[in-house]
Amino acid sequence: MKNRPLFLFGLFLAVLTSWAGFVLGSHGQLGALTPFFDEADGQSHPARLPGLAARGQLVYADLGCAACHTQQVRRPGYGNDQARGWGERQSVARDYLFHAQPQLGASRLGPDLMNLASRKPQAPSAEDLHRLLYTGSAAHPAFPFLYETREIAGEASRHAVRLSGAAAPKAGSEVVATERAQTLVAYLLNVNSGFEYPEARPLPAKSAASPEAKK
Amino acid sequence: MSTPPTQASAADASPFDGGARWPLTLLAGSALVWLVVGSLLALLTGIQLHTPSFLADCSAFTHGRAQALRETAFLYGWAGNAGVGLGLWILGRLGGHPLRALNWAVVGTVFWNLALLGGMVGIATGSMTGFAGLQLPRAVQPVLVAAFCAMALPGVLAWAGRKREGTYAAQWYAAAALFLLPWFWTATQAVLLWSPLRGVVQTIAASWHAQSVVALWLMPLALAAAYYVIPKQTGKLLPGYESAPLAFWTLIVVGGWSFGRHLIGGPVPAWIPTMAVVAQCLLLFHFLVIWLNFRGVLAGGSVTLQYMRFGLVAYVLTGLAETIASFRGVAVHTQFTLFGPALETLLLQGALSMFLFGGLVHQLPRVTGRDWALPSFVSGHSSLVMLGVVVSVLSLGWAGFAQDALLNHSQTPFAEILAQLKMPLLLHTAGQFALLAGNVLLLVAFLRSALSCCQAEGASVLRPASSAS
Repeated sequence: MKNRPLFLFGLFLAVLTSWAGFVLGSHGQLGALTPFFDEADGQSHPARLPGLAARGQLVYADLGCAACHTQQVRRPGYGNDQARGWGERQSVARDYLFHAQPQLGASRLGPDLMNLASRKPQAPSAEDLHRLLYTGSAAHPAFPFLYETREIAGEASRHAVRLSGAAAPKAGSEVVATERAQTLVAYLLNVNSGFEYPEARPLPAKSAASPEAKK
Repeated sequence: MSTPPTQASAADASPFDGGARWPLTLLAGSALVWLVVGSLLALLTGIQLHTPSFLADCSAFTHGRAQALRETAFLYGWAGNAGVGLGLWILGRLGGHPLRALNWAVVGTVFWNLALLGGMVGIATGSMTGFAGLQLPRAVQPVLVAAFCAMALPGVLAWAGRKREGTYAAQWYAAAALFLLPWFWTATQAVLLWSPLRGVVQTIAASWHAQSVVALWLMPLALAAAYYVIPKQTGKLLPGYESAPLAFWTLIVVGGWSFGRHLIGGPVPAWIPTMAVVAQCLLLFHFLVIWLNFRGVLAGGSVTLQYMRFGLVAYVLTGLAETIASFRGVAVHTQFTLFGPALETLLLQGALSMFLFGGLVHQLPRVTGRDWALPSFVSGHSSLVMLGVVVSVLSLGWAGFAQDALLNHSQTPFAEILAQLKMPLLLHTAGQFALLAGNVLLLVAFLRSALSCCQAEGASVLRPASSAS
């Protein structure tokens, strides 16, 4: 500790190693990932997010949805993500290729939101999501500031949310999804990891071990 | 030591503290204001956990934003200001010269807090970045780094121009923290904000940063305070001090490696969580040495030592619990549950804050030259925050274990899970309320002390002739 430059150099080097190893190292490993071209269907996967959905990701990020929701499915056998119907396979880095800012999340106070549009047995529709966002539920806060209540002038808006009971607006008014709500819902319905990439298949550990087992 | 806990003994006064009085008081004051703001937000997010509709229709305080605000106010507002204030003070005292370039520190502090305020408003109005631990809007981040460099300047000068040849552990930790934050924060900004990496590599970089903020910046500042204050308060040499460099270098070298424990099972290369296990196991040496060095505080004594004792126990417990939770077999139960926030509370409120409280309660009377004006408020604060942390951590841990059974081993719907967690989450809110009440007491005690110091100084300015004679 008596040697001043050596001390500072040591500090610098320690953090440089850590940064280069983790950040640059994983960039070296994943930075050159490309979409996977599937000859069977003649398309490459993953597809880019549609424009509306890509903007919705910004809404998702600025509202901090990741405080309660994850967007990552763990491999079968690790946790019960498959049993809950969140996805058939684990999420891999390629799934997030076109996400401007992946929102993996670290807390599951609410359900995982990967593959929302292909949920079994019944996937929520855009209408369902708007209703949940507007009215909230026992476990989900409402986001009324994403909606606008206004009087119906002429024809009803095609973005009006169909509501019943206490939440319904008074006669002659309608609750209309703002642009932010529309993009957010479009985003939620477009986050998916449906395609089977080679790296997403589980390791054939059992079949490799089976000849050993037979002996 | 026979001196009452909140009094500065005359023998301990340093001739260097007078010049640094106002810059250091400014840092401590801003820290305490942010602490109260952060506690208020923590109470808000705590209530939202069991009553999701609470303030949900107010876009600025919807749960996601309130969480980001709470985290930002705590880390960059409270711990940052308090840690830098203590770091500068320690480097000045141990360096053997009065602190130089303090006007830089004042300007830096003002800009740091203004930028932070701007950042908080930005988060509340929708400019949050969406990286956990780094939610501050991109526009204020470079300002914060620049302001930090100005704040740290007197510390760096004191380190570089120190009189003595030998150095103390408190100096290593303080100098390292001041030196490292600008370095790794700039690196993170480059790869996240200005030329973003693609896909999940962003998440890796953001988690690395969040880990480094605590392990390489805030915790070293808190440990510097503990290394400096504990021997002063116990009046004894630290036992096992010759191992202190081991603890220091272990933390600096592998402290940033263990972020992968939050990414287990995620879409990241598998070696990242594995390195986290390695790092956590290596860090056990750090925790062991810290325990050996600080074990003198277990006997208790002054209020300062009680803070330090709580901090030490919480720090070592977090280290052990995080090591266990970094193994995949354990993480499958704890991941994504409230067990994570429980450990975070133990580390940040239990260890980090307590070391900083101990440091501040020791520092302020020496800097202002007079005792705490309301010593009963200070001891009230210590009882309330200790109670609050214990209640909060235990209730979140309880909620985490209950949540694991419901989330990972059954198909229970989320509304049902929340209903079953109501009891521990209400207790957690009670813990956060105790923390808020305690922190308000400390702020009041601080303001009262600063005010009386201010009045005394004003009086002496009015009578220059009598003080000169």
